[in-house]
Amino acid sequence: MQVDPGLLRRVVDRGRELGAQYVEARFQDDYVVGIGTRNDRVIAVYNNRSSGVGIRVLVNGALGFASTNSTSLSDLLETVEYAISQAKATSSLRKKPIEFSEEEVSKGKYGVEEKERLLDFGVEEMIKLAMEIYSASKSSVKEAKLPFLSTDIRVHIQEKLVVTSEGAQIEARVPRLYVNAFSVLMHLEKGTLQRSRWLAGSGGAELIKKWDPVKVFSEEQARLEKVLVSGVAPPSESIWVVLGPEVVGLIAHESAGHPMEADRILGREASQAGESYVKPEFIGKYKIGNKYATVIDDPTIPNSYGFFLYDDEGVKARPRYLYNEGVIYEPLHNRHTAKIFNTKSNGAARSMDYTSEPIIRMSNTYLAPGNISFEELIEDIDLGIYVKSYMEWNIDDVRWNQRYVGLEAYMVRKGELAEPVRNPVLEFTTGWFYSNILGVDKNLEFYPGTCGKGEPSQGVPVWFGGPNVKLSKMRVGVLA
Amino acid sequence: MSGNILDSIHEIVKKLSRSFDEVAVHAIAKKDTMVKIWNSEPSITQLWREIELHLRLAKSNRLWVLIYKTHELGELVKRAEEIVKTANKISEAEFYAPLPDYAACKPLSGVFDQNVEYYMKNPDNLANSLITETLSTGVERVSGTIRLSQLNRLLVTSKGYECREAKTAFEVYARAFKGDLTGHWAHGSTHISHDAIREVGRKAGLYATITKNKVDFTPGEYTVLLSPLVIGNLVNYVANMASALPVLMGFSMFAKYKPGEKIAAESISIYDAPRDTTLPGAVGFDEEGVETYNKPIIEKGVLITLLHNTATAIKMNTRSTGNAGWITPRSWNLDIPGGSVKYEDLIRDLREGVFITNNWYTRLHNYYEGIFSTVSRDATLLVRNGDIVGHIGRVRIASTFERLLKNVQELSGEKFSVWWWEVRVPVKAPYITVSNLQLTKPEV
Repeated sequence: MQVDPGLLRRVVDRGRELGAQYVEARFQDDYVVGIGTRNDRVIAVYNNRSSGVGIRVLVNGALGFASTNSTSLSDLLETVEYAISQAKATSSLRKKPIEFSEEEVSKGKYGVEEKERLLDFGVEEMIKLAMEIYSASKSSVKEAKLPFLSTDIRVHIQEKLVVTSEGAQIEARVPRLYVNAFSVLMHLEKGTLQRSRWLAGSGGAELIKKWDPVKVFSEEQARLEKVLVSGVAPPSESIWVVLGPEVVGLIAHESAGHPMEADRILGREASQAGESYVKPEFIGKYKIGNKYATVIDDPTIPNSYGFFLYDDEGVKARPRYLYNEGVIYEPLHNRHTAKIFNTKSNGAARSMDYTSEPIIRMSNTYLAPGNISFEELIEDIDLGIYVKSYMEWNIDDVRWNQRYVGLEAYMVRKGELAEPVRNPVLEFTTGWFYSNILGVDKNLEFYPGTCGKGEPSQGVPVWFGGPNVKLSKMRVGVLA
Repeated sequence: MSGNILDSIHEIVKKLSRSFDEVAVHAIAKKDTMVKIWNSEPSITQLWREIELHLRLAKSNRLWVLIYKTHELGELVKRAEEIVKTANKISEAEFYAPLPDYAACKPLSGVFDQNVEYYMKNPDNLANSLITETLSTGVERVSGTIRLSQLNRLLVTSKGYECREAKTAFEVYARAFKGDLTGHWAHGSTHISHDAIREVGRKAGLYATITKNKVDFTPGEYTVLLSPLVIGNLVNYVANMASALPVLMGFSMFAKYKPGEKIAAESISIYDAPRDTTLPGAVGFDEEGVETYNKPIIEKGVLITLLHNTATAIKMNTRSTGNAGWITPRSWNLDIPGGSVKYEDLIRDLREGVFITNNWYTRLHNYYEGIFSTVSRDATLLVRNGDIVGHIGRVRIASTFERLLKNVQELSGEKFSVWWWEVRVPVKAPYITVSNLQLTKPEV
């Protein structure tokens, strides 16, 4: 670790001397090396470092935060004074003091193993990979053209050291790898089709071999070409709908993960990311779905993109059952919301970088899989649609009314996948989705994303996933 | 920006110029205070003091960009010196052009508000004003944000360009709650304005209390009145796609068009306005040291220019528009000239229409085709024969940007400076009616 815990301890002690009830000092270093390419050419090589200390204090029942990208003792002592002055500046406007739940004080150190050192996956190797992705993708397309394929490949080493006035001390090192390809397929008569596809997780350079991005991206281009060239419009009548893990994962993230963030339930993000259809009195009582509606957020999944073992308030992480067999079950908590809900934090406080206050975030959110195969899931469907991936999506600010526009999709006829379908539009409510799951298969898959929330906006790495899911019949729209 | 940092930057440029063909350092020193308001109380008050160093290095047409938020300048130089050793292993950059030759430094004036420093230390006055003003409209609670910023930037290039600029920024927005209806308003400027705080509170409260009726809504095509907040959000996407790099990457609907083509209704113009000193994106020179100027992206429905840095301009056989971004050109402020109709008359003119006061979560299915949808939040109002008959909950605009721009009907004379979480490039915009927009809502 680049910063001695003793240095942060002195800062925390100084904050206490100045009257803070609680002080938390977090050193965070985010180091990124990456490339951007367009087709067979490099656009630029980039290298970013964000390194400094964020200090959060609770004073007179008000929260203050200040950060600096200096790690000198004098600057840090000045910064803790700034944090305290910020809290004091508006504490008179608080009617009810902010309090934190009491938690077990954690001391720990963890990291993610790199079987092959991630930083050894250098710029030269990244460029080689990007060129191979482009070349293989271009070769895989026969009738259409691939005029644009850009890649964004990067390694990210994140180090954190959290020290609190209650004695917590957590040291973490998480290396992450990210590969993205954005493509445009074009056909003279059929128009264009765009895809953005990511592979991302935590670990070492060995992830490249495990993922095989060249194969994944190029094979997908071949399938998408068929959708572009031969895709039909979905039928206008109500049909059975089956959603693939990528779409299901996004739905779980948007309509279970976000509405179950306790700060959102309480309105803390109301003027930015919005509130939640979930009210505090729903917890443990309200049924949002049927027996298949179990959604879990688990930061401890090895090699996941949203991996952590302790949160940024020093609370030990664990899986959280957001929805459990249809019941609105356990919100994501930090110490502030846990106190209001009269419970314990479940370790959901995360910060994007050293300039960011820790706020409640998801990690790896997924709908629980079942036991049957995909073939069994669709075997009794006479006429339906299977939506495997998407481009456009959105959801309202209380996480109820949502839309997903399919990208790779197929008709299901007599229990088997049939011809490709172009641009099917799914619109439904959260209540309808979780109440109309008729089956889930055993094929749990995860997809990466950067989840945005907070002000200033914080993007944090997450996975979302699920199995293939069969839904009740619904009317599928088409892009006008 | 302290003298030490300044000296260090000169030293970095001098030292790295021995190894690279070109060096540019863009140093940004920022101080920001933000008060977040939650249920009519502050949830947190934050202060940031940061120095960011952005480094553009070029050698034999290869290009590197380093962004370091750190005081360890020595490490930045060390890293740059490591990079040069691997230069021959990297291919030439797709979009490379030499930095512009020496130009005179012409920083923008009139963009620094001395009062910001005082209110950074005393943000409670502003927060209290926003809370009080909003609650005075009869709403139950208010959320929002007030942010004050001081920004000093310095650009030094190995071509001899050196320029400094200082400005301030003020952002305020509020969301008011009354029953199941909410209202939202936002403002951004280079200067603190107490009137603007009061207006944000009043307008957020106005829309949260404008009707008590919840009415049924049938999805379909409507004439839609869009508030300056909605226009601000959507025009941000249009301007992003007008950046030449997304066009060259296939990320843009403008890839299909050439300057001079008519792509929108004659009544609509969109300007990139870096010289509007009232808007917080105001800037005198871009990241390559090119002097900025106001320019139409779209004027009277005709695509006039994309936004360029030197490299994209050379690629497209034109000149820089003063919008660098070393890699991606960007807009600074956006200005949409208003029309001659009063806002009230725009509502009165709606026979069967929907008034959307705010939106979020705009996403594109296909940038090349401009296919998008966005979700309304806050007051979404059904208007019949010029009267607001009730609110309809959250609906979605599902359309294309081309259709949106072509179907513009009328624009209000009044314009508002909008800057908030969902509008990151500041926009000065009127209310606008657009015909035949598809509105959806789930059937299930």
